Amino acid sequence: MNLLAPQAALAAGVIGALGLGLMRRPPSLLVRALVLLTPLAALGLLWGAVPGVLPPLVGVDMKGLGWQTVIYAGALPMAFLSSGDDVEAALFLGAVLGMGLLAAAGNLPMLFVALEFMSLPAYLLVARAGTGERRLEAAVKYFFAGALAGAVFLLGLSLYYADTHSLAAVAVPVDARGQAGLALMAAAALFKIGAVPLHWWLPDVYEAASPEVSGFLSTAMKAAAVLFLVRVTSLAPNPGFAAVLPALGALTALFGALLALRQERLQRLLAYSSLAHAGLLILGVGAWQLLGRSPAGIAALLIYLGAYAFMSNGAFVFLQASGVSTRAELKGYASRRPLLAASFGLILFALGGVPPTGGFVAKLLMLWLAVRAGLVWPVLIAALSALVSLVYYLGLVRDMAFEEAPAGDPPADGPASARLVVAVCALGALLLGAAPFFLSGVLSGVWK
Amino acid sequence: MTSLTLLWVLPLAGAAACLLAGRAGRGAAKACALLFSAAFFAVSLAVLAGFLHGESAIVVGGAPWAFGISYRLAADGLSMALITLTSFLTLICVAASWKLDVSAAYWANFLALASALTGVFLARDLFLFYVFWEATLIPMFFIIGLWGSDNRRHAAVKFFLFTFAGSILMLLALLALVAAAHSATGVWTWDLDALKGAPLGAAAPWVFLGLLLGFGVKIPIVPMHTWLPDAHTEAPAAGSVMLAGVMLKMGLYGIIRVALPLFPAYALSWAPWLAGLAAINAVYGALCAMAQTDLKRLVAYSSIAHLGFCVLGVVSLTAQGLTGGSLQMINHGITTGALFLLVGFLYERAHKRGVSDFGGLAARAPWMAFFFGFSIFASVGLPGLNGFVGEFMCLSGIAHSSVPLLGVPFFAVAGVAGVTLAAAYALPAFQAVFWAPEGGASVSDHVTDLDLREKSILWTLCALMLWIGLSPQGWLSVLEPAIRGLVR
Repeated sequence: MNLLAPQAALAAGVIGALGLGLMRRPPSLLVRALVLLTPLAALGLLWGAVPGVLPPLVGVDMKGLGWQTVIYAGALPMAFLSSGDDVEAALFLGAVLGMGLLAAAGNLPMLFVALEFMSLPAYLLVARAGTGERRLEAAVKYFFAGALAGAVFLLGLSLYYADTHSLAAVAVPVDARGQAGLALMAAAALFKIGAVPLHWWLPDVYEAASPEVSGFLSTAMKAAAVLFLVRVTSLAPNPGFAAVLPALGALTALFGALLALRQERLQRLLAYSSLAHAGLLILGVGAWQLLGRSPAGIAALLIYLGAYAFMSNGAFVFLQASGVSTRAELKGYASRRPLLAASFGLILFALGGVPPTGGFVAKLLMLWLAVRAGLVWPVLIAALSALVSLVYYLGLVRDMAFEEAPAGDPPADGPASARLVVAVCALGALLLGAAPFFLSGVLSGVWK
Repeated sequence: MTSLTLLWVLPLAGAAACLLAGRAGRGAAKACALLFSAAFFAVSLAVLAGFLHGESAIVVGGAPWAFGISYRLAADGLSMALITLTSFLTLICVAASWKLDVSAAYWANFLALASALTGVFLARDLFLFYVFWEATLIPMFFIIGLWGSDNRRHAAVKFFLFTFAGSILMLLALLALVAAAHSATGVWTWDLDALKGAPLGAAAPWVFLGLLLGFGVKIPIVPMHTWLPDAHTEAPAAGSVMLAGVMLKMGLYGIIRVALPLFPAYALSWAPWLAGLAAINAVYGALCAMAQTDLKRLVAYSSIAHLGFCVLGVVSLTAQGLTGGSLQMINHGITTGALFLLVGFLYERAHKRGVSDFGGLAARAPWMAFFFGFSIFASVGLPGLNGFVGEFMCLSGIAHSSVPLLGVPFFAVAGVAGVTLAAAYALPAFQAVFWAPEGGASVSDHVTDLDLREKSILWTLCALMLWIGLSPQGWLSVLEPAIRGLVR
């Protein structure tokens, strides 16, 4: 049962949160401790874990372990910033549990259950957390998009099963009907990631949700969705099926970068920016498929997701920490809180992929995969999108550091804990720039 | 040899120390900057001294990290000459900015810039090279954006985006290079020396092109130069010194260190095209400089012309031309550094820098006139001063080049035209500012002469111009072994 120890810890956390909810006035401190300690415990239980299977439902491979690490780590900022509300706590831990189950799913129905398990609490979380005006509308939109993705997946699964009579998460020969099923299942995954043109729900949701929830959705949830895509596309007996992914990814990256250019509201800008990053990840998944699914590609994807967990969480939480919501309000911010501004600046450079940050290493690895796979045009488009995205990342640094603060009352500061999260994320984004150095022991084994 | 690591870590530590010292006050940060830049200069001189005593190269190597990346640094005469130029100009910049009331971040950015530049000149692993290369952009972005003049915000972003566009092409080229070498040899490596001679197949011309574009933006080669006038003009004086003095040299250094050794055959067949672009640079830069009414912009455009000469020397692919081009890089750093400082000193006093804003300054500020004249003459290549030696060697390299087509007189004529035009833009400006009668709008009466600190800085620079001009042998003996190692 060691195989599911992190998931068991998370389940215990969910039950604990629900139990605390039975009290007439649940002590907020206890709830917050529970929310923070549960993902930490899950991370700790991953230490020294080994792959294994528990037929028929559970199979944890190296991928599953790696992804769990990224997912639990990506959830930590939101855990740390918990408001102490017991319902939100249960929803949040439930979503993380769903992601953990996704990483441990050993067959396709289990994959579907995990998908729904992680998605349903997320809809409610968007609706419930924070004070955003349009969060209910966004939650409904998110729910319908998610339900559609689920339905598409089930349709794909039925076609696939009708062809292969296999529900195992391993590649078996397929005919045209099975191919169509696989394509539909992949479309569901792309829906969850937010690939163009299946992205329409994403900017609204990320903008309307509370910033830390958006951070959580763009990191842990996105990581889970990428794993979902990796798993589904791996079902095809040959990687030729994935040939469309690089083009789709490059276009998503360019589209996200171009739309982020014109945004005045920072949370929406970051939403489009996360679209651009998702595009690179899809490109990476496609290249990994074309390269014959080597462990090296998985390592590259994980490093990307790890670096992005720091960058995106840090960027969204900055909005909470500073109270700034528009580019106009950001002007001159560096003179008000130099350290927080410097942290955010560092995160922006990392998001832009400028060395010596982790964002650069991440971007480099995706491009490396794509170059090795010989994907000339997707690589050029991705490079163009990197350049375009730098326009707004640099623009934000310029607004923050070079412009004068506007007259009038500055926005109210957020909690100190949010400032701490931003600083830690900035530090992580910087230190991951040296990833090839300190991860060499881990990676030299897989990078052949 | 840990000294090479020390070379780039020392200024970086200095940057951190400045930020910490800044908590105790601006004076402490400034003192810290002086201390560390002086120490950095001393260490680089000490390493350089080794090359005068016959040491040919020192290498730091390490076991590869993940992805075939390794921590490999090496220094030869070329690297050390440029690093010493970096440390020297950093010290000069700190001294020249001494009276400015700026926060600790100013000094920290200069030291961080020095660290990244040093890394570029040391790295022999292409991943490392690229990281240092890009890392130079961040401090310069802040130097322009925070302490520049009126249009600084726009100039800072433009500078970053243009050079980043070039760099990302370079990055793609490097990725293609490493991937192609892997499929040929089965080994992942970013090691520059190991990649030499690796069969690259069809990717080769594209890789070479990508590298040239990345380096060309930095030099800058016309028509990729449009970021330069804005960045140089809007940067603070010391920022312009580092930009023109060292950062432009990164591009040429990249061509000499990376592009030529990796692709000797393409270098040979593309050399006439590159020489053509370089000739255009020399003439076009000079023509643009003639049209400028802003002194700083004039000096900025003159840099484009001068770098054209350097490229001409380098693409002659002769030892003489390459050595001349390298020496001219050092010369240009010193001379243009002095000119930017002088324009900066003038601007500090009068808050104007248009040619027509001044007149008859020589009577009010004779020392300024002297140093300005000295640097201008060095810049236009007066025999006896440093510019002459470098330009002569570049042109002579072209004349003796064995590259097909380069023997065509066109290039020599273009070079000579560039020299002549240099006199035609520089001397009238000098004359108008310092000797012509004052016009009605002149602000010359705000200008006081240089003080002792400023004079000491300029004496140092002018002494170097004279030294290199009269006795270039010592300098050439540092550069030549390195160049010969590359040409072979």
